[in-house]
Amino acid sequence: MSRIEYLIGKKAKLNVCLSPFDNQVIEFLDDLSKNINLVNKKGFTDVQAFSFFCRKKNILKLKSKHDNENSVRFGLGILFHITPSNIPTNFAYSLIFGLISGNSNIVKVPSKQFEEIDLICKSINKVLKKKKFSKIKQMIVIVKYEKTDEWTKKFSLISDGRLIWGGDKTIHEIKKFETKAKTIDIPFSDRYSVSILNSEKFMKLSKIETLNSIKNFYNDTYAVDQNACSSPHLILWNGKFFNESKKKFWENLDILVRKKYEPPSISVIDNSSRLVADLMENKNIKSFKKFNKSLYVISIKSLKNESLIKKTKWGFFYECNIKDLNEIRFITNKKLQTITYFGFSKKYLKSFFKENNFNGIDRVVPFGQGLNINLIWDGYNLDKILSREIEII
Amino acid sequence: MKFQKDIFLQKAFSKNLIEKKNFFEKHIHLIISHHYKNSPYYKNYLDKIGYNIDCINNIRDIPFIPVRLFKELDLLSINKRDIFKTLLSSGTSSSTLSKIYLDKSNALNQIKVLQKIFNELIGNSRFPMLVIDKQANNQNRNNFNASTAAINGFSIFAKSINYLLDKDGNINYEFLKKFLNNNYNEKFLIFGFTSNIYNNLIMGLDPKKIDLNLFQNGLLIHGGGWKKLEEKKISSKNFNSLLKKKLNIKFIKNYYGLVEQIGSIFFECKCGYFIPSNFSEVIIRDENLNQCKKGQKGFIQLLSLLPTSYPGHSILTEDIGEIIDDKNCNCYGAGTRFIVHGRLKNAELRGCSNI
Repeated sequence: MSRIEYLIGKKAKLNVCLSPFDNQVIEFLDDLSKNINLVNKKGFTDVQAFSFFCRKKNILKLKSKHDNENSVRFGLGILFHITPSNIPTNFAYSLIFGLISGNSNIVKVPSKQFEEIDLICKSINKVLKKKKFSKIKQMIVIVKYEKTDEWTKKFSLISDGRLIWGGDKTIHEIKKFETKAKTIDIPFSDRYSVSILNSEKFMKLSKIETLNSIKNFYNDTYAVDQNACSSPHLILWNGKFFNESKKKFWENLDILVRKKYEPPSISVIDNSSRLVADLMENKNIKSFKKFNKSLYVISIKSLKNESLIKKTKWGFFYECNIKDLNEIRFITNKKLQTITYFGFSKKYLKSFFKENNFNGIDRVVPFGQGLNINLIWDGYNLDKILSREIEII
Repeated sequence: MKFQKDIFLQKAFSKNLIEKKNFFEKHIHLIISHHYKNSPYYKNYLDKIGYNIDCINNIRDIPFIPVRLFKELDLLSINKRDIFKTLLSSGTSSSTLSKIYLDKSNALNQIKVLQKIFNELIGNSRFPMLVIDKQANNQNRNNFNASTAAINGFSIFAKSINYLLDKDGNINYEFLKKFLNNNYNEKFLIFGFTSNIYNNLIMGLDPKKIDLNLFQNGLLIHGGGWKKLEEKKISSKNFNSLLKKKLNIKFIKNYYGLVEQIGSIFFECKCGYFIPSNFSEVIIRDENLNQCKKGQKGFIQLLSLLPTSYPGHSILTEDIGEIIDDKNCNCYGAGTRFIVHGRLKNAELRGCSNI
């Protein structure tokens, strides 16, 4: 067999199966959260966010929302997680979703070196040394290997569920590997996301409020090079003050991006290529503006031409005015994942989406929460899907 | 193309800077108008950025097409039925191919200019050519990849084409012996990708199996980038001295060029710089895509008077280079001197696509 590196759990038996939200798991995550805070000396914000997620308080909140004490549920058995190479903390969320739902886990982390991954694994190892977590210890294997089929094949055959992150290409590749007949696949496919903005509300914001909402937008996009599925690339403007609010929004974002964002050189070529290709072939362009090397805004005429929905990155945005929120229907399809919003009430949006039953759209979240990963992701209720229920009548 | 007729009367290099500049500027603007009229994509582009084709603008203001778009779009300025040859190039990491559509006259012009440059810098006659590669099999006569395109391009200077490697990629010593015995007395061409030359001639050749002295009349031409050799920490200087030491080859020329602009080739001069001929020009751009100062590293933009069947006359590459201001370099042509630092690294993205 080719080389494999066990970051955690070389000897783990993977034979433990618990009920969702088992107390041992909750205790473990709480200890993990505390330990991570101690070792995260460089203050990685994504690691910090993960540790925050693991707190007992948060997990109990999730439990009260998701767990049904009356049902008898257990994890599926062994989960094989194929995690993406580009969001360093993604593997950790995938793992704890597996644990929360009561499963033993084999997690393949990217072969690329990430300090965040090393740090979290070090913490997990440390906490697993405690006697009280001897059961949990059998539930976690974290491995790293180069793209070789042998290990993927082996792990696929023993798993009861596979969580396949990393987009369509990876999903098709992994699906080629045989599993047991009953094994389920949870694919997280290529998705894209959009924003809706109420221009009237935006114009009412004070200077500080404006900067705050811009910062939130920045965190949903630039913090991950606009390359996460849930980073918006199309901004829809609603309300009366199209022009004023756009000017205010982009000019403020421009200032923040120039100050804060440091993309690699390849982004210059990527963005310039995208722009020239669009100018050549996209008939739906009304105007365009390059604010800086990492902020391009293309105004399009209408949403009716779906082909313009190209996933972009490095601060390349499309925008369009919509008179009625209902125009979203032109772009809703299974690929549309998240809508981040500003200036609409939750109550209004709830009734709006209930009424319209669009094809696609799994999340509608305020600015700044685009990247917040949760137990319900891509429309899957993970703790339910990753556990089995025993029917007792 | 009528408007191009007189350009090939021009010699490859001129010593007079003003003459070169005037010649180039006049013709590049004719080419811009030509593509504007014949390529709808190109017209859309120029219209949307408000470029006025009737003004003779400074060449730094000439719009460029990022090289990647030759993969994404079918860019051509001729009728599809006039396509005579399609060049396909994979570039480095991507699986999609760059498509360059040539009609007969464009293909011919490439050869003419390549010949002019070659004759001026290397020699006026045809030579036996040893190719440090294996013979490509199942060649589609109209589709070429970068390596065959380069070999085919240079083969016009060859009396005979001889491949050093067998189909498994091993050195064919029997064949090599025969070739050298027949040709060692006079000049012969050795041609190959830089990494192939390194692997086979510098590292691979076994002195027990062949007399290394037989190589010294070779005119070695290599190109295709240093990426693989950089990993081994081999610089251009190392490379040349290793070749001299092992095979006593004195004539070594590195070339640089794009499959998207075949014909407009650059050869390294004695001082180690690439010098554009009368048919090409180079601009270096910074991260904001503004023109760099001399001595400042940036993206290489290549301009060429040759592409007429496709709008490849102004291409923004993904290579990093730098213009050198060296008044002491009196090598062949007047004008710009530049060096190439290599291909831009494909950066790791944050985000959730790609495993």
